[in-house]
Amino acid sequence: METFTVELITVNNCGVLHHIAGIFAKCRLNIETLDLKPLPEGLSRMRITLRGDRTLRTHLLRLLSKLYDVKSAAQIK
Amino acid sequence: MIRTGANIVIESLCRNHVETVFGYPGGAVLPIYDELYKNQHRIDHILCAHEQNAVHAADGYARISRRPGVVIATSGPGASNLVTGIATAYLDSVPLVIITGNVNASLLGRDSFQELDITGVTRPIVKHNFTVTSVRELAGVMDAAFRIALEGRRGPVLIDIPKSIQCDSCSEKNYCSPLYFTHPLRQPDLTAAVSALKDAARPLIYAGGGVVAACAFHELESLAEHLDAPVVFSMMGLSAMSCDHPKNAGMCGMHGTAASAELLDKCDLLLALGVRFSDRAAGDPEKFRKNKRIIHIDIDHSELNKNVTVDMGIRGELKETLTRVLELLPRQSRPLWHDFLEKVKGTPRPCEKKSLVPQNLFATVAEYCGPDCAVATDVGQHQMWTMHHYPFRRSGALLTSGGLGTMGYGLGAAIGASIAQGGKRVVLFTGDGSFGMSLQELATAVTYRLPLLIVICNNGVLGMVRQWQTMFFRKRYSCSTLNRQTDFPALARAFGAEGQKITTLEELKAALSHLPADRPLVLDCRLDQDEFALPMIPPGGSVEDMITQKEF
Repeated sequence: METFTVELITVNNCGVLHHIAGIFAKCRLNIETLDLKPLPEGLSRMRITLRGDRTLRTHLLRLLSKLYDVKSAAQIK
Repeated sequence: MIRTGANIVIESLCRNHVETVFGYPGGAVLPIYDELYKNQHRIDHILCAHEQNAVHAADGYARISRRPGVVIATSGPGASNLVTGIATAYLDSVPLVIITGNVNASLLGRDSFQELDITGVTRPIVKHNFTVTSVRELAGVMDAAFRIALEGRRGPVLIDIPKSIQCDSCSEKNYCSPLYFTHPLRQPDLTAAVSALKDAARPLIYAGGGVVAACAFHELESLAEHLDAPVVFSMMGLSAMSCDHPKNAGMCGMHGTAASAELLDKCDLLLALGVRFSDRAAGDPEKFRKNKRIIHIDIDHSELNKNVTVDMGIRGELKETLTRVLELLPRQSRPLWHDFLEKVKGTPRPCEKKSLVPQNLFATVAEYCGPDCAVATDVGQHQMWTMHHYPFRRSGALLTSGGLGTMGYGLGAAIGASIAQGGKRVVLFTGDGSFGMSLQELATAVTYRLPLLIVICNNGVLGMVRQWQTMFFRKRYSCSTLNRQTDFPALARAFGAEGQKITTLEELKAALSHLPADRPLVLDCRLDQDEFALPMIPPGGSVEDMITQKEF
C-alpha cells in the first residue's frame, strides 16, 4: 500500500465530482486530499490523493477514464 | 424554425430512428406526451402498467433488435420506479435511452412535489446521464445520449428534462452541443495472442455476453472450427452458438455442465471472449486460473484483470478482433482434445420420466414453439433449468437478467422482445415468485395482442432460496415457502389472457397444441418443491466439489 495522486481533466459541470467520488466509493477507496481548479474551455483539473496498491491503482484509472466527463486520467508524481 | 423542448425530443427520437418507446405518463412529462400524441404516425408508444416493467420491456426490445430501447417516465416516483430496470440494463450492458421529466427548473432543489434528483440516484448505474439546463442544448444532448448508449461497451443513458425546458422554445440555429469525450478504440496487436493459440495443445474458448452484444456468432463458430477447440459459455453467452454445434460444451460456472467444468480443468489455454469472469461463472479466481494461460479479449479495458489475472489482456471490438485473428490463424486439428470433448459431453439421453419434471417440460415447450422463438426468463431455479434443458438454436435470442438477477424482469422483457419482432411469439419461463412481481403487465400484453407463452414453474416456494437453505442452512426454510392460494389461470383470464393449470406432460402437450395467436397464454405448471437445479458447484468451489445428485 502506498500513497499516490491521480490527476483528472474533466468537464466543468455540476455532478461530475459526484460521479468521480462515486467511483472511489464503489472501490471502497478513501479520498485523502482533493484539489480542484477550473481550466479554460469549460474544463476542470482535479488532483486526488489516496492510498492503495498497484492493482487497485490500475483498475481505478481505467474506471475513471471510462467516464464521459473525464478527458484524461493519470497518476502523477 | 422555432421548436419547443418537447418537440425537439420527438424530432431527436425520429432522427435516431426510434420507432417505439415504452413508458408511463405523468405531470412532469405532459409536454412530451402531448408531442407524442401529435406524432403517433411516427412513433408508437407502448403504455405499460409499471415504469419498472417499461424499462424491462425497452431492455428486451434492445436485446432482440440491437437498437437502443427508449423509455419515458415522469418525475419523482415514476423516475425512481425505473431504478431496478436501469441497473439491470447497466450490469448486462444493454443500450437504453431513458427520458425523465422533472419539476420546473426554478423549483429544483426545493423538495417540490414529485421532485427527485434522479441523475444523482442513477449515476452509479448508467453509462452517463444529463440534466438539461437549457433548451438550446437539448438536441445535442439527445444525439449524444444515443451515441454514448451504443458506442464501446453498451449501456443505459438517462436524460432528465425539467418541465420548463420541455415548454421553452428555441430556433434550430441556436442549438449547441454538450461537451463530452468519446473513447476511440485502437487496433490491438494480436500477434502474441495468435502465436499462443497456435502453440496450445488444449485450447478452450469461453464466450460471454460480449459475443452476443457484438453479434460475433459466425466469427465464434469459425474460430472454434479453425482452432478445433471446444466452446463453453457464461449464461449471458449461451445463445451465441447453436446447442447442436459439435463444439458447444454448454454453460460453465456455478450451475454449469459437468463437461464444461472438466474442460476448464484440463485446458492449457483459455481464450475468453466478451466475459467478465463474474463470481458465478469463475468461482474462486485463483483456482480458476490454475494450470492454464488466459487470453482475455473485451471491448471494456476495465474488465481486463479485474476479477481474474490474465496472461494477455486485449482491448478490442470482438467482431473486428476475431476477424483479424482468423486471418492470422492457420486451420488446426487437435484429435486427442476433440476425443476428450466427445468423452466428457457423452451422449445426451432424452428424459424418460412420464411425470412433469424440468427435464421434459423445457424440451417439450421448445419442440412446440420451434427454433426461432425468443426465450425470456425470470430469475431462480427455472432460469437454471432453462439454461440446462432448453435447446437454444437461434443466436442472441435469450433474454435473461444475468448481472443483477432481477426477479420480475421476464414479463416486461418478453413484451419488448415481441414488439421488436412485430408481435411474434416469445416464450417466458418464470416462477411463481418471480411472476408475482410483475404480473400486472399481463394487461399490457393483452392490450397489444401479444402471443406470449408464459410457463410458470409453480412449486409453491422460492425455489433457489429453498435449495440453498437445504444445502447450506440445514433445511431451515426461512420465509421461502409461499403458501399462496393464487389461481394463476383465473388471474390470467381476469386480465383478458388465457390460462391453464398443467399437472402432467399430456396436459402440457395438449395446451401447446392450441397456442392463441393474439393473446398471452399462461400455463401454471406444477412442479415438486424439492426439485433441485443441478449440477451445482458451491461458492468458492471447483470441479471436484461439483454436486450432480441430490443428496439432501
